Parts: sequence; C-alpha cells; structure tokens
Amino acid sequence: MSAIPMKRRKANRASASREFQGWLLSSPYLIFTLIFFLIPLVYSIYLVFQSWDLISPTPVFIGLDNFKEALSSIRVRQAFLVSYEFMVLFIPSVMIGSIGLALIVQHVPRFKSLFSVGFFLPYLASGVVSSLVVRGLLAYNGPLNTFLRSVFGTSPDWLGNGTSAMAVIVGMLVWKFAGYYSLIFVSGLQGIPNEVYEAASIDGANAWTKFWRVTLPMLYPAFYTVLILAVGISFSIFTEPFTLTHGGPQMATQTWQLEIYAQAFDQFRSGYGATVALLNAIVTLISIIVIRRLAEYWGHRNGWN
Amino acid sequence: MTQTSHTHNESRLLTASSQKTMKTRRGKHERSHNWLYILAIPVLLIMVLPYIYLILQSFATWDQVNNTLIPTSFSLRSYEWIWTGGGFTPQPWLNALFNSLLVTGVDSVCMVAFGALVGYALSVLQFKGRKFVNNFILFQMFYPAIILLVPTFLVIRFAGIYDTYWAMLIPKMLSLWAIFMYTNFFRSIDNEVIEAARMDGASEIGIIFRIMLPISRSITSVIFLFVFMERWTELMWDLIVVKDSTKQTLNVLLSTMFGPYGAYPGPLYAAGTLLTVPILVLFILFSRNFVNGIQFVLR
Repeated sequence: MSAIPMKRRKANRASASREFQGWLLSSPYLIFTLIFFLIPLVYSIYLVFQSWDLISPTPVFIGLDNFKEALSSIRVRQAFLVSYEFMVLFIPSVMIGSIGLALIVQHVPRFKSLFSVGFFLPYLASGVVSSLVVRGLLAYNGPLNTFLRSVFGTSPDWLGNGTSAMAVIVGMLVWKFAGYYSLIFVSGLQGIPNEVYEAASIDGANAWTKFWRVTLPMLYPAFYTVLILAVGISFSIFTEPFTLTHGGPQMATQTWQLEIYAQAFDQFRSGYGATVALLNAIVTLISIIVIRRLAEYWGHRNGWN
Repeated sequence: MTQTSHTHNESRLLTASSQKTMKTRRGKHERSHNWLYILAIPVLLIMVLPYIYLILQSFATWDQVNNTLIPTSFSLRSYEWIWTGGGFTPQPWLNALFNSLLVTGVDSVCMVAFGALVGYALSVLQFKGRKFVNNFILFQMFYPAIILLVPTFLVIRFAGIYDTYWAMLIPKMLSLWAIFMYTNFFRSIDNEVIEAARMDGASEIGIIFRIMLPISRSITSVIFLFVFMERWTELMWDLIVVKDSTKQTLNVLLSTMFGPYGAYPGPLYAAGTLLTVPILVLFILFSRNFVNGIQFVLR
C-alpha cells in the first residue's frame, strides 16, 4: 500500500466523520422539526376537512363544510375587518413614533444610550402586565378618569366603547413596539452619508426640507423592514384583547387569534379552529405580498432597488 | 412555535436580512440640539411610566391602589398577600412564579444550547445537506406558525403529555431564530481558531462550549435575553396545554385573574411586578453586551 491512498483514506475517514458529526449536531433540530413542524404541517391539511370535538374517538370527514362555515361566519368576517382597521391605525402611528424616537436618540447631545435603552424597555413587558396597568389607569376610579371628571365633569368608558377600546389596544402596541422599531431606524439614520446633507445645504435646503427630501427617502430600507413587521403584528394580536376586552364591545376588538383560540380551545372544535387558522395565514400572506409590492414600487420610483 | 414567536422570528429575521443600509462613515452632522431634551425627557417618562405605575401601585396601601397616579402611603400588604396566598392554600402566586422560572429557565438554556450546537453544525461543519437544512430553516421561519397551533396541540395530546410541564417545555426547547443567529455569527469567526483547536485534539462539542460560546458572549446574551423574554411572556401556548392551576405560569395565572380577583388589585400589581422584575434584571445584567450584540441582530 503506497502512501497516497493511505492519505486519501484518512481524508475520507475525516470527511465521513465530519459528515456524521454534522448530522449528529443537527439532530436536535431534525427531530424537533419532524415532530413540531412536519407532522403538524401534514396533520393540519387533514384537519381542515374534519369535524372533531376531541371527545369522540375519531374525527368525521365533512368535506368543505369548515370552509363554508368560516367564510360565512360573522365572527371571522369581523376578525378580518378588525385586522385591517388595526393596521390602518397602527402602522402610521408606530412609524411616526419610532422615527421620532430614532431622531431623538440620534440627535440628543448626551445620554444617547440611556434614551435608547429607555425607549426599548416597553418591548420587554409582558402583554398581560401592560394590560393590567392600562386597565388600572383607565378604570372608572382610576387616575385618568378621576382627573377628567374633575376638569370636564365627565369621563369616557374607555374599554366599553368600540372605537376607544380599539384605540387603547393600538396605543398599547405602539408603546410596546415603537422603541424596538426605532433601533432599526437609528441604524438607518447612521447609514445616511454626511455628504448628502452637505450637498443639500449647498443647494440651499433648510432643516425642514432636508428632513423631508433627504432623511425620509434615505430611510426607505428601515421603513420597509418596519412596515413588513408591523403588518405581521396586525394579524397576530392576542394578549391585549384577550385580557382587556375579550374581543368586545360588540366584537370591535375581535381578532383572528381570539377567534382561533375560542373555537379550537374553548369550544374544542379542532377542525374548524384549524380552518380559521389557515384562512388567517392566507389573508396574512396575501396582505404581506401586496404591501411589499406597493412598498417596493414606491422604493423603485425613489431610486432604491 | 406559536404565532407570537412566529412574528418575533420573522421580525428578527427581517431585521437581520433585509436591511439594505448604505456603506458610509458616520457624519459629523450633529449640531447642538439641547432643546431636544424638552421633548426627549417627557417622551422617556411616558415610555417608562407604566413600569413606574406598576411598581408604585404594588407598594401602595390598599385604599390608594388604582385611585392615585402616585401613591403617598406605602405598605407591603400586597406582597404579603402574594406570599401567604391571600388565605387560599396553597400559595398560588408563588407556585406560579416557580413554574414560570422553571419553564422559562429550562427552555431558554435549551434554546441557546441547541442554537449553538445546530448553528455550529450549519456554519462550521461542511456536511452534505447543510445548505438544504439552512434553506429549510428560512422556510420554517416564514411559514405561518398559526397553522401549526391546533395540530401541534393535538400532537401533545397524542403524546400523552397534555396538562404536564412537558407540554410547556418540549415544544419550546428549540428556537429557529437562535439557530439562525448563531449560524450567521459563527460563519464570521475565523476558521483558523477552530482548526488550531482540532489540532490540539479538542472535540467538536468541546470547541463549541470552550471556544465558540466564549467568543460570542455579546451575541449570546442578546439571544438569551430575547428567547428568555419570549418564553417568559408566552401566553397562548401555556394557556392551552395546561389546565391544572398548580402548573400554570405566572403570566397565565395573572391573565386569568382579571375577573375573580378583581376585588384585590394590589396583589395583581405585586404579581405584575414579580413578572416584570426578572426581565428587567436580566436586561440590566446584559446591557453592556446588549449594545454590541443588538448591532449584530439588527444588521
């Protein structure tokens, strides 16, 4: 046996062992994906054609009945509408909020990290805790309403009115996410070359025009990222309406997640719950694709690709 | 793998991948903006007000709870109530806090450890199928996790672990996002370090825990903070897989206490404080590393 095949065999053995170790170290992921991704994935396709209350031993095949019921359900339709209503309110508010916070962090002369950490803190809060605080702050005898009554003689029932209940939930999520999104805008702001501002100054632009004509268009990548994130949030709200409004009043804060939870885990209608979840996913995906296209179209027109 | 973690996954994936920042040096564009404090300080106060309100209310005497923005007299009665269980034996709040710490602690450590193991395999070890696994992870992160909620719940029931700690622990032991972050980070580490360790006879596991994790301290603390926070504040999954009140997490217990315990708002604020303090402590402990690590996460 000459030295060369020997070497090759050694190399082969080394690469075989590398191969084995690669799969071995990936095995937690592989097992996990099989049990908690692939099996549920296949099972969900089966489940949407079944009726199953979890008490009877086996599911019953009912064809497209789940889809028929979901598409004509007033609760699902309400969830559909509420998610868009939420989006229309949430996206502009969180954009303005987070750009504002980013500008503060960027331009404040000192204590930059104090401000940026402080603005980030709401992201760490449990939705249950912030609901508890909001409920306390807005209660009839709470500090806000007591103040309003002493000044105006009257106070609103914040969570008892559809419009204001929605506004409260939007406000809570803006509070939670604005600081986190502002980090994305801060890195966007830091990426704007100084030369652009200098060129704008030479052209006689004042601070206001510079902000609108230079800063905002240059923030497009950050804007795009935050937009997609915020759209995703709009379709997956659960904790705040679950703890504060239970979807009320008059289904004004009825969300997809509340409906899936109610059907699948409160009424124990697994098949129907899975169907509503599938519809939620489809609506989310289509919305994200459309909004991405729109944002990219706008970006192209402004020289981004 | 429920909807909340899905949005988080997706969010961090997006921030990591689609930031098309322009290459540049940092400008000296900053003029004196002292007037900005007039705006910045009130905004900061509003952002932290709910935390301050929560903590102050938890220490207020019960006649002042929920009536005053800033209480004037303080007592530990709300915490005593939590400690003793408020006359209901056994102490449901302490038990729930223990459950939360157990479930979140075990899962966060597992998510970081598995993230490092798999991330190492997917970035350093050149095995066939590595590319496929990497792409499949991206596919999973963008796959709408809400579809998997009901069937995953049924898998748990079939496995016979419904209403046990395992039902909360096992499905959340692995974070795709953590794997993704570690894969990207380990890719940026110089291969020579690893080769040298191999020459010295270190095993792959040894390399991960003795070399890779110490090198990646700041990214690890950010990953740990995020997965800890996500697990700690998880509501829907823990709500649906555990019905036994002695196994409920503090987050679940608090969310179901808005009704019947409404008459005792003080203890609710105390429980809310207990639910908030661990994350804040962790955040403060990690804040030095956090500033470096978040740069990588956001890139």
